[in-house]
Amino acid sequence: MSRFSKGKRLPGAEFTWDADPGGVPDTAPTPLYPAYTVPWTRKLSSKEQKEVDHYRHHRERDQEGPHYSVLDSSSSSAKKGTAARVNFDPFTGMPSYAGRYQKKRRTLPHIDPTGGPYEFIMKYFPRELWQTIQPSFRPDVDMDGYKPMAGGAGMKRGFEDDEDDGDDETKKKRANGEGDEEGDGDEEGDLLDEEEGQEEWEEENDFEDDEDEMGGDYNAEQYFDGGDDDYGDDDGGDGGGEDVL
Amino acid sequence: MMMSQHAVELCTLLIEDHFGELFARIFTTLQRYERLSLPRLKFYSRLTDRQLRHGLTAMIQHHLVYYFTSLEDNNTYYESNPHAAYYLVRSGKILNLVEDRLGEYAARVMEAILFLGHTSVSHLETLPELQSLTPTVPNGVANDNEELQEDEMDAEDQPGKTNGDHAPEGKPAPFHATIKALASHGYLMRVRDAHFQSPGDNLLEAQRTVSSRSDIKALKGKRQQETVASEIQELVHNRTHADLSQELMVNGLPRGIKRKFGHNFNGLENGVGEHQMTHEEIHWPEDGDGSDNTPMESGLVVRVNYEKLDVALRNARFVTLAEQDAPPATAEVYDCLLRHVEYATFRCRDTDEIPREREEGEQWTVPIDAERILGDIDPCLDLSGAFAPLESSSQSVNRGGKRPLENGVNGDHEGSDDESSGPNRVWEVNQHLQLLSQPPHNLTSCVELYGVPKWRVGFRGLARKLRHLELERMIESRYGDVAIRVIRVLHAKGKLDEKRLQEISLLPFKDLRQTLASMQSGGFVDLQEVPKDAQRQPSKTIFLWYYDPDRVCSSILEDTYKAMSRTLQRIKVERGRLKDFLEKTERSDVKGHEEEYLTEEELELLQRWKDKEALLLAEVARLDDMVAVFRDY
Repeated sequence: MSRFSKGKRLPGAEFTWDADPGGVPDTAPTPLYPAYTVPWTRKLSSKEQKEVDHYRHHRERDQEGPHYSVLDSSSSSAKKGTAARVNFDPFTGMPSYAGRYQKKRRTLPHIDPTGGPYEFIMKYFPRELWQTIQPSFRPDVDMDGYKPMAGGAGMKRGFEDDEDDGDDETKKKRANGEGDEEGDGDEEGDLLDEEEGQEEWEEENDFEDDEDEMGGDYNAEQYFDGGDDDYGDDDGGDGGGEDVL
Repeated sequence: MMMSQHAVELCTLLIEDHFGELFARIFTTLQRYERLSLPRLKFYSRLTDRQLRHGLTAMIQHHLVYYFTSLEDNNTYYESNPHAAYYLVRSGKILNLVEDRLGEYAARVMEAILFLGHTSVSHLETLPELQSLTPTVPNGVANDNEELQEDEMDAEDQPGKTNGDHAPEGKPAPFHATIKALASHGYLMRVRDAHFQSPGDNLLEAQRTVSSRSDIKALKGKRQQETVASEIQELVHNRTHADLSQELMVNGLPRGIKRKFGHNFNGLENGVGEHQMTHEEIHWPEDGDGSDNTPMESGLVVRVNYEKLDVALRNARFVTLAEQDAPPATAEVYDCLLRHVEYATFRCRDTDEIPREREEGEQWTVPIDAERILGDIDPCLDLSGAFAPLESSSQSVNRGGKRPLENGVNGDHEGSDDESSGPNRVWEVNQHLQLLSQPPHNLTSCVELYGVPKWRVGFRGLARKLRHLELERMIESRYGDVAIRVIRVLHAKGKLDEKRLQEISLLPFKDLRQTLASMQSGGFVDLQEVPKDAQRQPSKTIFLWYYDPDRVCSSILEDTYKAMSRTLQRIKVERGRLKDFLEKTERSDVKGHEEEYLTEEELELLQRWKDKEALLLAEVARLDDMVAVFRDY
């Protein structure tokens, strides 16, 4: 008591924070949100505004064009277990009357050499894509005296592709059959086997494509398919009910 | 082509923005695995065969994918083209430039070509949106349109049409004249087969062709190597050469230049209008005989020439640099000089990469004399207002005394004055260019040929200067003005130890150290240790600070790519927030009739969204300017 009665300051008082209001001791934690001047962008000049307008116009044209295509349109009829099915939005995803005004997205670029705005000049595309541009084109018929190369080169190709196939299969096993297509390896085999097999392969491919196309639409058959699946769950629920009763 | 992570990300985002996810998936797969054949691509991208075939076809149409069909095994390999993907971001600037130079219709033609990738002229001609001169969606002020049309008409097809009245509806679009104007400016180029192969493949193929030739095989040793190298270069050049401008130029000038005459001074129609006509006749005899709108070679397939457009954009950049510290009249003169230079410049530089600092020689453009420039300058432009009155010769005193009054807009006076002031205006143009040749920027340089001063531009030095200015701007905004001083000292003197640096820069030690430390952590300056003995004791080591602009440039370039892709991602996020609303505005019945179907709040929201997107896109465009400085110029 007596020690502090002489008007002396408390021990450690020389370190008090009152002497320097607003000062921060050396050991104080660093502020969580330090003062920070938020940078502001300049306003757009008229030139920039015009550039942006041009850019947007050009982009919009590309987006409206026949080549704009998205990967998966999520729908209720998508394959079971796929991402599209899982991400399906039950509230707004169901087709409705007003939906016909909604912007529709292609899942495949529309290649139309005659009707569309694009002009496809065949010689600028690799030969293996010619049939995509013009479905009437037959790869085994020579055009303009150009003959498809065959013979000695085929050997090399066959060897290369065998290797590829093996690779594919092993990788697929590793990926645990995650691939979206079952016939992957087989098709490749077909493609690589013989030139003559190409047509058959195309047909096969067409079939597959039909499947794909249907994937984008409402599919009544699969509607009940889904129901089958749910049945199992219902069963379990019923069982529970029985227990209660 | 190997590219950094952020550059790839940026290209992918751009492609996705323009063409959707399918293209983006194919592009990233090709970018990640380099070249792939179709079955391999199918395996890696996990797309169906049909998706791939259609996607690749469309991407080749847009030049986003290179392909190469090997003659040995007949397989076709695909490779991504990041260059074309990046240029999607520059389309706004390109279209704006074309609109400025050649008018609104030319911009529309250009946009159609950008949209189509490549196309033949005959196909382009049939497009419905290019049929009429007036745009299908009226988006400008009517009066503005009128002006543009008049401009195009008198520049391109006055005599061909019998009816002289300006009825915009009845007039067919001057399609061929516009295409020719675009091509002669070099903004378009011919499509060649080799353009669909990557540059590397072209080179290899040329190598193969050349080395299998019998006359080359006969040569030996060093001589053979030299011949092979030059032959390869020639072959590649022959295969990719696609310039259209040379054959279409008239008297060394492209056609259909949009003249600025009389635009600003509408009151001067009587005097200057006449003058303008005579001018056009002097310089454009070809326009006069109606040969202009003759159809182009209809089988010609054209695409956009990005290299040349880079040259034009670079010139625009230099004009803004000139505007910063020179009077507007001087900038205008400079613009005209650069136009003339542009006609003879095909690309920004000859090397693929930007050469290292101090290892780059100067390349001068063709010298151009003042009289040719004068032909392009608006006769109403007041060239003399920027100078102080002269006092040396008696004539000049006379004119000098009068000059401040002369810049009043007085048509007949100008007209009568014109003849006598011919050589004087040349002198004034020379004065303006002289002003530009002064330090610090040295925007022009003068050579005397046969006693006539001619003007040329040293683009390599100027491009370097632009890079430095850009870096300095950035350093100043991040680390303040002390930092900029330090950087300049280091750049001028090379490697310096701290003491010497302090002596030269005259800065207190404390400031200097702080700035250097923070700049080092930012990667702008670096420290080199030179030990005096083998122990490498810090006390016996010299520490040298240095600044390497090349290194800083490349790291900033990467940062810029990153910032651009972040900004684009931001747009996506912002879009996602308003997704339902924006989908509503994009409904086929609402689009185009927004006022009719949307409520007031919704309209306001839509406007706010548009402004926000414009801000972000403009930010991307500004960053693209930086990329251009660091990579393209």
